[in-house]
Amino acid sequence: MLGTYFYHEIIRKTVISFGTLFNQIYIVHKDGDGNNNSQIRVPIAYGPMQKFLARIEQQPNLNKPIQITLPRMSFEMTSIQYDPTRKASLTQTFKACEGGNIKKVFMPVPYNLGFELNILCKLNDDALQIVEQILPFFQPAFNLTIDLVDSIGEKRDIPMILDNVSFQDDYEGDFSTRRALIYTLQFTAKTYLFGPVADSSDGLIRKVQVDMYSGTDTTTAKREMRYTVVPDPINAEPDDDFGFSENWNFFSDSKTYSPTQQIDI
Amino acid sequence: MALNPFFLQGSLSEQRLVQDLINEQLKIYGVDVTYIPRKFVRTQDIIREVQSSKFDDNYLIEAYIVNYDGYGGSGDILTKFGMSIRDELTLVISKERFEDFITPFMGQDQDDGIVEYHRPREGDLVYFPLGQRLFEIKFVEHEQPFYQLNKTYVYELKCELFEFEDEVIDTSIPEIDSRVEDKGYITTLSLAGIGTTATATAVMGTGYIRRIYLNDDGSGFTSTPTVAISTSPTGDTASAVAITTSKGGVVSVSEIYMTNAGSGYTTAPSITISGGGGTGAAATCSIETSGNGVIRYQVTGIGSGYAISPGIQIENPIAPVTYPNPAIGLAVYSPSTTGISTIYVIDAGAGYGSTPAVTVQGPPVLTGSGDYLFNEIITGSISGTTARVKSWNALRSVLEISYVAVDDNGRITTTPFTPGESIVGSSSSAIYSLISYDSDDAYDSDKYSENDEIEEAADLLIDFSESNPFGNF
Repeated sequence: MLGTYFYHEIIRKTVISFGTLFNQIYIVHKDGDGNNNSQIRVPIAYGPMQKFLARIEQQPNLNKPIQITLPRMSFEMTSIQYDPTRKASLTQTFKACEGGNIKKVFMPVPYNLGFELNILCKLNDDALQIVEQILPFFQPAFNLTIDLVDSIGEKRDIPMILDNVSFQDDYEGDFSTRRALIYTLQFTAKTYLFGPVADSSDGLIRKVQVDMYSGTDTTTAKREMRYTVVPDPINAEPDDDFGFSENWNFFSDSKTYSPTQQIDI
Repeated sequence: MALNPFFLQGSLSEQRLVQDLINEQLKIYGVDVTYIPRKFVRTQDIIREVQSSKFDDNYLIEAYIVNYDGYGGSGDILTKFGMSIRDELTLVISKERFEDFITPFMGQDQDDGIVEYHRPREGDLVYFPLGQRLFEIKFVEHEQPFYQLNKTYVYELKCELFEFEDEVIDTSIPEIDSRVEDKGYITTLSLAGIGTTATATAVMGTGYIRRIYLNDDGSGFTSTPTVAISTSPTGDTASAVAITTSKGGVVSVSEIYMTNAGSGYTTAPSITISGGGGTGAAATCSIETSGNGVIRYQVTGIGSGYAISPGIQIENPIAPVTYPNPAIGLAVYSPSTTGISTIYVIDAGAGYGSTPAVTVQGPPVLTGSGDYLFNEIITGSISGTTARVKSWNALRSVLEISYVAVDDNGRITTTPFTPGESIVGSSSSAIYSLISYDSDDAYDSDKYSENDEIEEAADLLIDFSESNPFGNF
């Protein structure tokens, strides 16, 4: 039953979209006279990664002279939870057009993705600069319009909601441990997961034909007039700029249109 | 009960002997480490932090490695912030040696922000040459061993690897300084080594378009529209290009520049602006049917070392022209060649009796000179932005810098330097002109930052049709 392969990369896209919110955060240090001394663009990366990759990328020559460079930010997805409050009807479908082909998609399933943004700083002042550049944008949500399923051009507004801000400042204790200063911001991304996109058997409607009878009982009433309408030009696509060509025919032949044979009999 | 008066409990000569023995043992069994004191550049008073520091002194001292069988600490661990190396080192140095050979020099540096002290201080650095690593002193133990013969003789320095941010490390010992020259937030300046001035000549003609007037700038363009000018009855047909601009998400035509003003026109030709997905743009022109003007420019030498479009000067018509109308041209530079790619005709002028001379402004620095020095301050001649040199590649004319400081009321700019300005070294007096500024590989050596990768991937997904408050796209 299940097993139709599809992969819209929706969760991955949501991860990327979340990460890009924080890729332009700067901190500024001043010199003794209060002048701007240096500006640093705070690096950010997705936290989880393969261990061997971390080792060979970040410590390729084995004798790194320092412990770590700071400040740094990392983010990671922490939960995937169904959101019943946003659920639409189970069997409802909608259609989308891709290059003249009609695609049929079931309504997506709403899911909340939990994210965590961690900020590691050497100085509390650095952390405050970073946090203050983030918090005002979330009231408490910031909406991103994400192209979730590019094959049907489905763009959805995904609210990124700031749920919680906490920080850890381990400044107490003996001098054998260094002060750890980590701010943690927790977010919820209200995204949608789409199922497989199927080709619709319906196809594009390129002609509408209506036969009008003299009475409502079509077995006895005579056909009087036929109204047909087609797009102009006939090969127009839904996204094109097109008009309609209408035609009226009047009959006195008492024939009836056969939808199966597509002729008057 | 009082001490036994028949024993000395540690006489000065006994204490002296023990100290000498310890000093000798340290010199025999120790290793030479470099003690690097921290200077406070700026402190935050309320939240009590040293915001900016520099380390520009060095003192060699012998130290005994207590953890002789390897570093202490947690070793190399993978955190959510990438690799973190938690190696720790415990060193023992002679109290007397420190106080005799390092402390006296410390006192002289009080003006630099160092609080006077007579002991090793937490926060200072120790360069451990065997591992080629920088350790930060996190605790100084001064009572181990505990008052033997009524005195302490050594300091035990408990150290862990340095957390690097933007501290200035300039000890003048290349072995130490070079260890951090590729660490931290580093950006790249591409400089022009040698520049040459572009050259061009004017081509004369008569019956030409004097100037094009944009009557309606149109709207809704998604690409640059095409400008078509009706054919000349007898001479060259004029040609022109449109320049678009965007404001509030609406793209319209801002200028129309002629690449050829044409010749042989007797009446003003029609100008059609089409294509590009927009509508409504319209232009007219004025023509000169008598006398000569500059109908186009021939670039005879594209030059090099330009980072912005240079100015261009066209010689005025020479008397006895009654109403001389000088021509106006616009040179456009090419970032790929750093030379000029073309010269447009803005106004063809009128009344020229002979071909005027064309003078293109030279690049800001005709010949770059000198070699930038590690850690010296460089300054942008136009932007006023300062930074410190991390490394200088003279062959590729690439300067890697850090500590970029924009004196713009604390605001951040992603392009702190202005292309075309001169980059001057404060100590070396080296000077080159700036071609481009690149912060994409700011953390190249750390391999942690993925800011640009994330932003580029997100650019394909996110509809920032209004604006993007978080990035460049």
